[in-house]
Amino acid sequence: MRIAIGLLNGMLAGATPVLLAALGGAFTFYAGVFNIAMEGMLLVGAFCAALGSFFSGSWVVGVVCAIAGALGLSLLFILFAIVLKTDEFVTGIALNLFAAGATTYLLRQLFGVRGAFTDAGIQAIPRVDIPIVAQAPLVGEVFSGQNLIVYVAALAVLGCAWLIFRTPFGLRLRAAGYNAPSLESSGVRPAHVRVAALLLCGVLCGLGGAFLSLGYVRLFAEGMSAGRGWIALAAVILVNGNPWGIALITLLFGLADGMGLFAQGVGVPAQFTGMAPYIATLIALFVYARRKQGQRVGQA
Amino acid sequence: MSDFIALRHITKTFPPNVIALDDVSVSFETGEIHAVVGENGAGKSTLMKVLYGLLRADRGEIALHGRPVQFSSANDAIAAGIGMVHQEILLIPEYTVWQNVVLGAEPRTRWGALDSRRAREAVRAKIAAFGFNLDPDAPVGQISIAARQKVEILKLLYRDVSVLILDEPTAVLTPLEVPQLFEELRRLRAGGKTILFISHHLDEVLELSDRVTVLRRGRKVDTVAAGSTSKAELARMMVGRDVLFAGRPAVHAPGEVVFRAEGVSARDDKHISRLREVTLEVRAGEIVGIAGVEGNGQFELVNVIIGLIQPAAGALSVNGHDLTHASILERRRHIAFVAQDRSRMGASLSASIAENAIMTHHRLNETFARRRWRLDMQQAAAFATRVREQFAVAMSRPDQPFRALSGGNQQKVILGRELLLDRPFLLLDQPTRGLDVGSTEYVREQMLRQRDAGRAILLISSDLEELFSLADRIAVMHRGEIVADIPTAHTSLEQVGYWMLQGREPAPA
Repeated sequence: MRIAIGLLNGMLAGATPVLLAALGGAFTFYAGVFNIAMEGMLLVGAFCAALGSFFSGSWVVGVVCAIAGALGLSLLFILFAIVLKTDEFVTGIALNLFAAGATTYLLRQLFGVRGAFTDAGIQAIPRVDIPIVAQAPLVGEVFSGQNLIVYVAALAVLGCAWLIFRTPFGLRLRAAGYNAPSLESSGVRPAHVRVAALLLCGVLCGLGGAFLSLGYVRLFAEGMSAGRGWIALAAVILVNGNPWGIALITLLFGLADGMGLFAQGVGVPAQFTGMAPYIATLIALFVYARRKQGQRVGQA
Repeated sequence: MSDFIALRHITKTFPPNVIALDDVSVSFETGEIHAVVGENGAGKSTLMKVLYGLLRADRGEIALHGRPVQFSSANDAIAAGIGMVHQEILLIPEYTVWQNVVLGAEPRTRWGALDSRRAREAVRAKIAAFGFNLDPDAPVGQISIAARQKVEILKLLYRDVSVLILDEPTAVLTPLEVPQLFEELRRLRAGGKTILFISHHLDEVLELSDRVTVLRRGRKVDTVAAGSTSKAELARMMVGRDVLFAGRPAVHAPGEVVFRAEGVSARDDKHISRLREVTLEVRAGEIVGIAGVEGNGQFELVNVIIGLIQPAAGALSVNGHDLTHASILERRRHIAFVAQDRSRMGASLSASIAENAIMTHHRLNETFARRRWRLDMQQAAAFATRVREQFAVAMSRPDQPFRALSGGNQQKVILGRELLLDRPFLLLDQPTRGLDVGSTEYVREQMLRQRDAGRAILLISSDLEELFSLADRIAVMHRGEIVADIPTAHTSLEQVGYWMLQGREPAPA
């Protein structure tokens, strides 16, 4: 039972940053922006969170900095891909490379360290106890006492689903992706909708990044996002942006992540256990493709 | 009636020096259906775009209820009560009818959510008020083109416009859907709406509109009451000279059988039978017309003949050469082919005029090759010039992109290319679709000339009047079968129309 609870906690911790980034990606996916910059946004978010928390001694400032940093990347994306109309894919690649380079460079310049920066002055985001749930056996150990951002991510699923499927904004958002000229002829500028989607993506990725550096650890390491932004992209494409689907996929990813950590504990080399989430992603892709193929045959 | 909208002295020049509108003044009255007609390039669409705020006039003014207005976007125009349905339908297939209608002007709940109940009710009310036959919950991707057009109109009615501009609304409809649209437009007029209707189908214009404004080369020729004019007069105003509408009857009896299809069947990629034992003959010096509601096997028949679909059964031959399993290139040694879709199959829009002119020729005529494998571009340019001269194509240089040509001139290049192949059998799929009156007349004349020169012509057309004025025999397709094959002189429009809808059953006397 201990193991199961540990695994579930690991799953939630592993899933949270990917989930937030993927929800951000869902907005841009529906808006018809081919946005692959979530990886860079997570990384910048994580860096800015550590930076803000270190200099202010407050995790709140850290989170705000993370959001601001990721939004900065969003604004760059908007400037290039929407205002100057450069290719979205190339813009995304450039921003991801920029994020990796800039955080590494600043890490060395500001703190004079290579690899990872950690300091007692960095304040982590607190855990939250849910009053009644905390007392419940087992349930309490999973559903209470999680990091604040975990709850934020769970609420974000609800909020995103509501925004996308239940509001005029959502109707326009999806219209921008389905058929932008139609939206335009309805009197709404698709570019405005895309800007909004990218800004939302920045906010969510900023939260995800803050969780990476101030969630269960209090440090920033080079390349800390470790492909989570790409996994998020895969999750978005896999379920066509549906927030509930994204939640499911990212939980599976988190589970693989948690199992990897567990396997490490029993002596499997870290290099192998680190592969687990990516292998899980590949398996999910495979299953998905097979199912789609089956549907196609079924229709004929 | 009062002058509702007045356009005064509108002039619009596209750089460098194309004068699209030259001092055009028109007024529209409340509650009328006003047709704006003219050939392609006459300025109809430009005039409507100026009114709608999509283009800004260089000179002139627009007055609404006597007050000058200037719309800077479609939104402004809609807010002032003027809405436009574009030629290409812009809807979201993934959304339902009501979602498409309210998009951009959604009712909200107190919490800022989309009030789908209120939206659906509002759309339902509009549908009922104007007698449209639509289900608000149907996904737009699953309804017919005619129904989608209604959704576009509904979108504007939902925004409470009082003027509807329709840019060639019948171009996307099948002949059977047109009367219903007209009935709905009349109902809208009865409800006090003003309808501006762009068209170059003169029959439709005369049937539907109250007044007609004719444009020619950017100038207004006249505005006339539809009741006091005729098709011939309108055509004369549009083209600036008399236009031939009737075909000439064949002067001699047709000769030998050139094209023969025997028991040809075909299935689509979902294994659904689309063509059922079609047997058809076309003789030298004869035009055989294929009539039928679109989607009754014409597409498959053309593709089987040209070799894009392999027939499941049957045989094809031209002058005794068995082409049933021949390659497309081999078929093209015997068949000249004008495809229905100029921009996709008939030509490449981004290639040059010269390249388009020599397509097929460059494979079948050795003089286009230098040292067997290199294309002789001088020869190609010379050939394009020959097409221009022989087929009266208005173009400046053969190395221009094909898309720079107007629709009529594109079709002339394609037709010229195919006729210069000098084949015994001509397969023409909707050769006059989307062409203006002048170009249509030209293409029809060429067809008659080819017939008189002894070629066998198979003409697929959704324009029954075209078939009746050109074809010596009419074959009617219904659900992949030829249900009637009869000399044109022995049948009537009504009878063919009946076969198109009902199939083989004999027409009631």
